[in-house]
Amino acid sequence: MTPHSIQCERRAARLALLRMVLVVGAFGALVPWLANAYWIKTLTSSLALAIAAAGVALLYGQLGLVSLCQYSLLGVGGWVALRVGHGLHWPFEACVAAGGLSAGTVGMLAGLPALRLKGLYLALVTLMLAGGFQVVISATGFPDGGAGFLGRISGSERLMLPRPAIAQGEGAYFAYVAAWLATMLALLELHRRTRAGRSWALIRRGEAVAEGAGVNVLLYQTWAFGLAGVCAGVAGALLAGAVGQLDGRAFAASESVMLFALSLIGGAYHWAGALVAGLLLRAVPSLLVDLGVNGYLAMVFFGAALLHALITAPRGLAGQWLAAFQRLRAKGRA
Amino acid sequence: MKITLKRIAVASALLSAGAAMAQGKPACGLNNGKAASGEPIALGAVVGKTGPDDFSASALASQAYFKCVNANGGINGRPVELTIVDDQWNPEVAAQAAAKLVKDRKVLAMVGSSSFVECGVNAKLYAQEDVMVIAGVGVPRECFFAKNYVPVNAGPRVSATVVAMYAAQQYKAKKMVCVIPNIPSLGNWACDGAKDWGKANGVEVDVIAVDPGSPDATSTMLQAAAKKPDAIILNLPKGIMVPMLAAAEQQGLAKKIHFVSSTPAYNLDVPKTIGAAWNGNFDIHLEFMPVESAGADNLNWKATMEAFGNKSDPRDSFAQAGYLAARIATEALLKMDPKKIDRASVSTALRNVKGFKSDILCRPFYVGDGARHNANSSGPISQVSGNGFKQVSNGCLMAADPELSDLREQEKKLGL
Amino acid sequence: MPDLLPFLISGLGVGAVYALSGVGLVVLYRSSGVLNFAFGALGAVAAYVAWSALDHEWPLWLAALAAVATSVAISLVYGRLLAPRLAEREPTVRSIGTLGLALVVLGFTEWFWGEQPRRLVLPTDAGAIEFADVRLTYTRVLGLAAAVSMMATVGLLLARTRIGLAMRALADQRALSSILGIRVLQVDTAAWVISGAFAGVCGLLLANIVRLQATVLTFLVIPAFAAAIIGRLTSLPVTVAAGLVIGMLEAVAVLVPGFSAFRTATPFIIALLAIVLWRDASRKA
Repeated sequence: MTPHSIQCERRAARLALLRMVLVVGAFGALVPWLANAYWIKTLTSSLALAIAAAGVALLYGQLGLVSLCQYSLLGVGGWVALRVGHGLHWPFEACVAAGGLSAGTVGMLAGLPALRLKGLYLALVTLMLAGGFQVVISATGFPDGGAGFLGRISGSERLMLPRPAIAQGEGAYFAYVAAWLATMLALLELHRRTRAGRSWALIRRGEAVAEGAGVNVLLYQTWAFGLAGVCAGVAGALLAGAVGQLDGRAFAASESVMLFALSLIGGAYHWAGALVAGLLLRAVPSLLVDLGVNGYLAMVFFGAALLHALITAPRGLAGQWLAAFQRLRAKGRA
Repeated sequence: MKITLKRIAVASALLSAGAAMAQGKPACGLNNGKAASGEPIALGAVVGKTGPDDFSASALASQAYFKCVNANGGINGRPVELTIVDDQWNPEVAAQAAAKLVKDRKVLAMVGSSSFVECGVNAKLYAQEDVMVIAGVGVPRECFFAKNYVPVNAGPRVSATVVAMYAAQQYKAKKMVCVIPNIPSLGNWACDGAKDWGKANGVEVDVIAVDPGSPDATSTMLQAAAKKPDAIILNLPKGIMVPMLAAAEQQGLAKKIHFVSSTPAYNLDVPKTIGAAWNGNFDIHLEFMPVESAGADNLNWKATMEAFGNKSDPRDSFAQAGYLAARIATEALLKMDPKKIDRASVSTALRNVKGFKSDILCRPFYVGDGARHNANSSGPISQVSGNGFKQVSNGCLMAADPELSDLREQEKKLGL
Repeated sequence: MPDLLPFLISGLGVGAVYALSGVGLVVLYRSSGVLNFAFGALGAVAAYVAWSALDHEWPLWLAALAAVATSVAISLVYGRLLAPRLAEREPTVRSIGTLGLALVVLGFTEWFWGEQPRRLVLPTDAGAIEFADVRLTYTRVLGLAAAVSMMATVGLLLARTRIGLAMRALADQRALSSILGIRVLQVDTAAWVISGAFAGVCGLLLANIVRLQATVLTFLVIPAFAAAIIGRLTSLPVTVAAGLVIGMLEAVAVLVPGFSAFRTATPFIIALLAIVLWRDASRKA
């Protein structure tokens, strides 16, 4: 490889990163002008969940690890953000950071015993964690302005988490969430291009191979779990800001399973897959609700679409569409 | 009170309604048989349809009543358009539903809502946008502690208190156990009415909070029985209550302890499902008069559902609630100038509702401009009998829950 | 101590629930290499079919037959038409495929039968064994017996018969096994039929012991996975024992003040403890 071709590759990579940030940014800027209140709210949730999906895709796409507890980590991040926001009145960004970091820490700690496990076994263990979290959070609920450790208010109205000063309105908050999405996606992308990404690729080939090449397997696996946890925590905090409150009954173990499944469907090998996953999780069900489709028939449709996408698109919908796009471009050039 | 032409028209409409009711034809609104054709009035409802239970009967009954109103002169010539949105028991979706109705559809008020999750999430939006919600059914504490949310039903705390009072009165029960799902805003609130009432009246009430997803009803029943109570109060949604009663029956508790329940057990499928062991052995508090009562307004509700509802719409207590909510809203709207109907004036008119009478309710309903609303705080007691129910209380019992003291003050001031 | 006994006995009822589902899941895994997330959903639809049949005054044996036939049919359709399309992919993806099936079946069941309080009453409910102030209905005894006999039967099937051997080979190395001449379609069909039948029987018993509600029955797989994990997804006897122990501990947890409201987490806590404590034995699935 000549230095010139390396330079070209590096430039192409930088352009790709810039393109990703611009696409997300454009989405964030345009949608508030085009969509009505219902869709702005829906798409805000979709973008927040896209961050969580990006974390899931990191674990599965880069390392082949299945984590079925990411939605619970979203709950952890949301809980910390709400507690810190209501109790200590920190600025919103600090709440999001606190949520992300605590979820990352919990992800790392929870991932430690699971680190030696592979495949379906790891999946089941993370499912157990999700199940445990479901029971606890259904009983304790999320902080809503009260005192004490659990921060639950009683006898008066539940408080909403105050939004950042620059993003009070719905449209402004949507753009704010888009900015966070672009940041987190860029963070993950930068990881992929540096030593972390190379280490992960080696670990995926085989632990022995990686150890042989001098990679600290424990460190990089834990780091991946932590990073995925941070993504989930940030998503949870942003979701808490979007709705103002979180409800303990919305964090069942099945949500984590759905998050994983739809991240797989969206595409675990490209950043656009995370975006598609977020839309599938929130925008598609909202569309069906908007059209008045019976909720259970929508579930049937969803399950069938899941099977179909799984069978026909091994690299996810994003992978399928990008491949089609590349083919068109190649035809256009020829 | 000024004798305006409008008030005479409304009064005569109500009189002719009384005559029509006697004939079995539904009477609603102006009751003049003319289809309304003016500028529509947009109203909304958020219901929990897809999920652990289907609460949509309330909004469907409101819709039937509004259809009847539209066929009978509308609101002084203007038809009502009710948009119903399913929140799927998910708080995020509930927030989206409220955004859709309040901001996109610009509804003037919400009528007939019945959702488990929307009160906490949307209360602030409703207060900010000054939208009044005359809800059919509210369940968690947030529904009864919000400025703009007015449930027509009594709520689980009041319901459990009334049935506890009945058990003490009828069975001389001195020790009771109250079973409640361990959900925040329910588990630490809804059985406490009975507990606090008991403390003030020499009755000991223990509370057991159960995980609603638990597959093991038997251990809960054994735990309750181990406390040796005279009565067990089940304050559970009917989906969870049925397995609890099945477990109690299998453990032979049906003959040893009196079982009573708050209102969710009052459902026409329940007697057949729980079986013969509970015949004459299970008392339930009703938030409204029984579904088969012969009062004029109750019959009007049935006639409205017959004529304007779908065949598949349930005719249960949720539907009664939706009908009442729609009637309250209609009567308030009819008193307004049809050209000056906007959100602010509608909210004011709804806050001024006072002394609304119906034989479906035990006492007159009111809204008021307080910080919270829980006007329905009494009800009769029915007992499972054969494949149905039979009323066993002498009229209605009024809840003596210490938490209601602020509302009793308000009622005294309003002269109710 | 005497206080514990009624709860230990009543816990056997719940334990039978976990043991039954756990065995069903491990059996599927060992015979088709797939974690069947749809196990609960198939059981749920079978239970609802039985309820409808009994509601229309069908005799019990016919209702049960119809129920099991339904779950077998759905399982067969999935196994013959859809699962082969995913056969080349890794086990995780194949398991997510069963999640899609679960959503389809659950959505259909809830939509068709609607939300109305129902109970699946079996004639074995009428009698019971009395033990230390607790009554264990014959249905729960039947559940316990079913878990043990299923474990024995399938264990024998997989270990001693030709088709069992073929199933294990296919689950382990699909491509290699087909080259060796194992009739892939036939064996697959057998595996999915067996799993469908088990799901149906489990569904009937669970609907009686727990609650006849589709969503609850579908997601009972998650605590059942706890029993399967302790059995390391291979050993059927350990899975049954684990299920029973988890059930008993969950019941006894009712007496622990403070923990009682969280006792549904017992299966998860025990599974995680088992993972942490028996690290070396649980390296790879």
